[in-house]
Amino acid sequence: MADKKTLAFEIGTEEIPAFDLKRATEQLAELMPAALDAVRIPHGDVAIYTTPRRLIAIVADVAASTEALEEVFRGPAAKIAFDADGNPTKAAIGFARGKGLEVDALERRDENGTEYVYAVRQVAARDVAELLPEVLRGVIDAISWPKSCRWGTTSEMFSRPVRWMVALLGDRVIPVEYAGLVAGNTTRGHRFLAPGPHAVPAADDLVSVVEGAYVVPTQEGREAVIREGVARIEAETGYTAELPPKTLTEVINLSEYPTPMMGAFDEEFLKVPEEIIVDAMLMHQRYFPLYDAQGKLTNKFIIVSNGDPAHEATIVDGNERVVAARLYDAKFFYDEDLKKPLVDFVDRLDEVVFQEALGTMRDKTARVVKLSARITVAAGIEQEAMRDIARAAYLAKADLVTSAVIEFTSVQGIMGSYYATAAGEPERVARAIAEHYMPRFSGDAIPTDIIGQVVALSDKLDTICGLFAVGQSPTGSSDPFALRRAALGVLAILEETGLPISLVETIDGALIIYREAGLEFDNAKVRQEIIDFFITREKVALRDAGVKADTIEAVLACGIEEPVVLARRARALEAARSENPQVFDDLATAFARANNLREIGLGTGYKKAELTEVELSLAEAVAAAETAVAEALADDRYADALVALAGLRAPVDEFFDTTMVMDEDPEVRANRLKLLNRFANTFAHVADFSQMAKK
Amino acid sequence: MAQVTAAGEASLPPTFQDVIMNLQRYWASVGCVVLQPYDNEVGAGTNAPATTLRSLGPDTWRTCYVQGCRRPTDGRYGENPNRGQFYYQFQVLIKPSPDNIQDLYLGSLEAIGIDVAAHDVRFVEDDWESPTLGAWGLGWEIWIDGMEVTQFTYFQQVGGFECNPVPVEIAYGLERLTMFVQGVDNMYDIVWARGDDGVVFTYGDVYLENERQYSAYNFEVADTEFLFQEFADREVECLRTLKAGLPLPAYDSVLKCCHAFNLLDARGVISATERMAYILRVRTLAKACCASYMKNVVGVDKDMTELDDLLAEVPDPREKAAEETAPNLVPRHPEPAAPCAGAAAAADHSERAFDFVTIAETTDEEA
Repeated sequence: MADKKTLAFEIGTEEIPAFDLKRATEQLAELMPAALDAVRIPHGDVAIYTTPRRLIAIVADVAASTEALEEVFRGPAAKIAFDADGNPTKAAIGFARGKGLEVDALERRDENGTEYVYAVRQVAARDVAELLPEVLRGVIDAISWPKSCRWGTTSEMFSRPVRWMVALLGDRVIPVEYAGLVAGNTTRGHRFLAPGPHAVPAADDLVSVVEGAYVVPTQEGREAVIREGVARIEAETGYTAELPPKTLTEVINLSEYPTPMMGAFDEEFLKVPEEIIVDAMLMHQRYFPLYDAQGKLTNKFIIVSNGDPAHEATIVDGNERVVAARLYDAKFFYDEDLKKPLVDFVDRLDEVVFQEALGTMRDKTARVVKLSARITVAAGIEQEAMRDIARAAYLAKADLVTSAVIEFTSVQGIMGSYYATAAGEPERVARAIAEHYMPRFSGDAIPTDIIGQVVALSDKLDTICGLFAVGQSPTGSSDPFALRRAALGVLAILEETGLPISLVETIDGALIIYREAGLEFDNAKVRQEIIDFFITREKVALRDAGVKADTIEAVLACGIEEPVVLARRARALEAARSENPQVFDDLATAFARANNLREIGLGTGYKKAELTEVELSLAEAVAAAETAVAEALADDRYADALVALAGLRAPVDEFFDTTMVMDEDPEVRANRLKLLNRFANTFAHVADFSQMAKK
Repeated sequence: MAQVTAAGEASLPPTFQDVIMNLQRYWASVGCVVLQPYDNEVGAGTNAPATTLRSLGPDTWRTCYVQGCRRPTDGRYGENPNRGQFYYQFQVLIKPSPDNIQDLYLGSLEAIGIDVAAHDVRFVEDDWESPTLGAWGLGWEIWIDGMEVTQFTYFQQVGGFECNPVPVEIAYGLERLTMFVQGVDNMYDIVWARGDDGVVFTYGDVYLENERQYSAYNFEVADTEFLFQEFADREVECLRTLKAGLPLPAYDSVLKCCHAFNLLDARGVISATERMAYILRVRTLAKACCASYMKNVVGVDKDMTELDDLLAEVPDPREKAAEETAPNLVPRHPEPAAPCAGAAAAADHSERAFDFVTIAETTDEEA
């Protein structure tokens, strides 16, 4: 088919939200070729271009027609398809109908001596231009949006209203219909710089027409422009911009023609904590803050405008006034909050609901204070720190009712820390208030000090235990209280600090505190669910870190409930396995064999006098290993216990190679089984090696 | 487009009242009914019946109006240049939404003297949702050079009823917009009117004393017992009125309840648990008014079980016997099931300040 043309399709819309657009861009790259393939339209590469106001797919080398095709389907055997009189049965009729054929049109063909009916369909070549309206309409409908809306009197749903469409195969208009619109050959440009309409002579021209109308039509293109502008401003000022990925994505998809510009605010506002200023700029205004060489926030920031660069002065001036108003508010709130010591806000936490069934943040505070005390005692933390932990737990949430945090939510904790310092609280208490939310995300650091570590543990465990107690545990993809993240935070803190506390006991403590506060729930069930939840998180984390599933199961099979112990043992076992794969494979195989033969009832009291030489050497090795394993586990040297077990490999292999366990003589057999029982028992508190045996 | 220009020098920016008059003239030219402000306390232009109730049903509706909005907890005694307990919105509601509505909106900015091509005008995602009223829509906040001046929403559902056709709501913050146009940084410095003789009235001349007094009243003086009673009385009155099949006057009682609630909130006398219950009570009434409007005005009578159940034990005020034996009426409302997020926008607004706390702490997904 020599006659190949470019296909251009543009969906013109009102402004699509930034993150939805990003996802739609990815979808379109798959939907477009899939839609063409589904109706066998031969085509070349598909390129996707998107902006907040348009989704464009350009398909190279689209054939003018599909290829003719003979489709052959084998149906039922002839003896089923036709009765004794040669009349078609229901089976034949149904098969024919399913293929869109009359029953007379079915053919009979012999295949390896059996006769079957066949449906043979001639699919004619079709004009691609005629197929395309439906195909392209299907692409529009197939894009899935997190949220979509109707508009006007139409019933179609799209992210935001669709206002125009361009569909061209070469220079031929493909009249796609959607929501009362018909696709044509005119597009629109940048809303203000070159609104249009602009004629598009042919499919190959669409992107250049759009580019000529002040539209940078790809996310990558806009990102490059923004990064270039930022780099220019950095070079001019000697400052460094912060470009968080989330804000960057938003900014990229908030304009069709981005221009970075620099604004400034009154240095007076730099007296306000830096975090509020950054929150106001990043979260609310999508500006990028600029930092000096010492990493200190400056009073300069970067705006990414979608306006006419010729009006930079006006645009910058307007944005500066907005920032000034916001910072005025921030300073106002900050100054207001400072009029009272932080401790005075604690009682007002009863205005803030933590969770309906679990009371207010004031109630939570009381519980966190108690749980922190339990942890402090369990971990044997020194007196001085005890006071600070109690104080930090009491003050941790107080800033939630300060004006600054109500207005700038992302600075929770940080503001509390500033207010605590201003009120003369100890430095460690102030730091703990800021850090008790840590780790905030996977890979984030844990609190730097024991004070913050204990409060963070208590806060997270209180949340997890409470929500499990009221049946709000995460399900599948739904984790509205981010309990998985909280659990990972708890595990990270326990792991990295090595605090000598039991997670299970701390969970029990948290549940006791809830029961004392009058909450009713099935303690045994909730407790087990929470332990399982933590074990599952730890398993996922271990798997992500490359520990094999059978290693984890082998360790777990010994009844481990403490995730930290699980992690330590699984890693040690994984390391031992990868260092000496052959030893551990053989040992696992031997253990599995012994385990299968095991007759617990026989006990382990073999008669030494009746042992053969090989058996005796195994028996001696087992006895030595038992002592070594017990000592190692008592000293918490799990790796050494594994080394001790590894020493059993040679004698046990030798034993199985040379000894027929199931001897005809029942006495001999029993003695050997007792020896094997004792061998298997040696593993009992280390790992279930049968989990690692090749199956 | 005829434009009212400032008296005297043409170069002076439009006054506050010029902005209002130009917007009215502009939207009138598009075919809107220019309503006067609704004469009841509302927290937002959306809450006026010309928007909430008229969004429902199949009829074409086009209106614009100025609406004074009361948000008692936002009072700052006139000391904050950007925030007050009373402010003005300019509200536009057009059903069905016209195809060129964004251009019409941009035209309205031109009409008040903003050269949109010389600024950075953006449509930034901002969806509206009031789950407890069963209302939501998609749209944007509109920024001019980074300043949010308008909310723009395609309503999808109101009172649990699909909006069909779809209305578009445009709500301008008049003070913000005028501050932008006049280039002032304090709302009280807005020039409201300018006479031929050069005599100027500022927003502060008109409203600063108002703001001080109302802030004091809202936060310190309002009689809370009276307000609790008012809430209860209005709730009963709303149900009585609905029983009589009169959603429009019944809706007035909802607005009265909202305002009483907001004042009680500003007085700081509503505890967290009570607040849920109050919001739920307002929501029950607001949804019932929408249902009653669908039934009695639009003429749709299906899915009315909730309304029927609510009114089942309310005596019909038009039946004489009922009046004589006037029973002690206890309003029925469902038990709180889930945390609620505000009833009508007035309650909504003050609610947000609190429910963000749990959200900020809990909604971020794992990285």
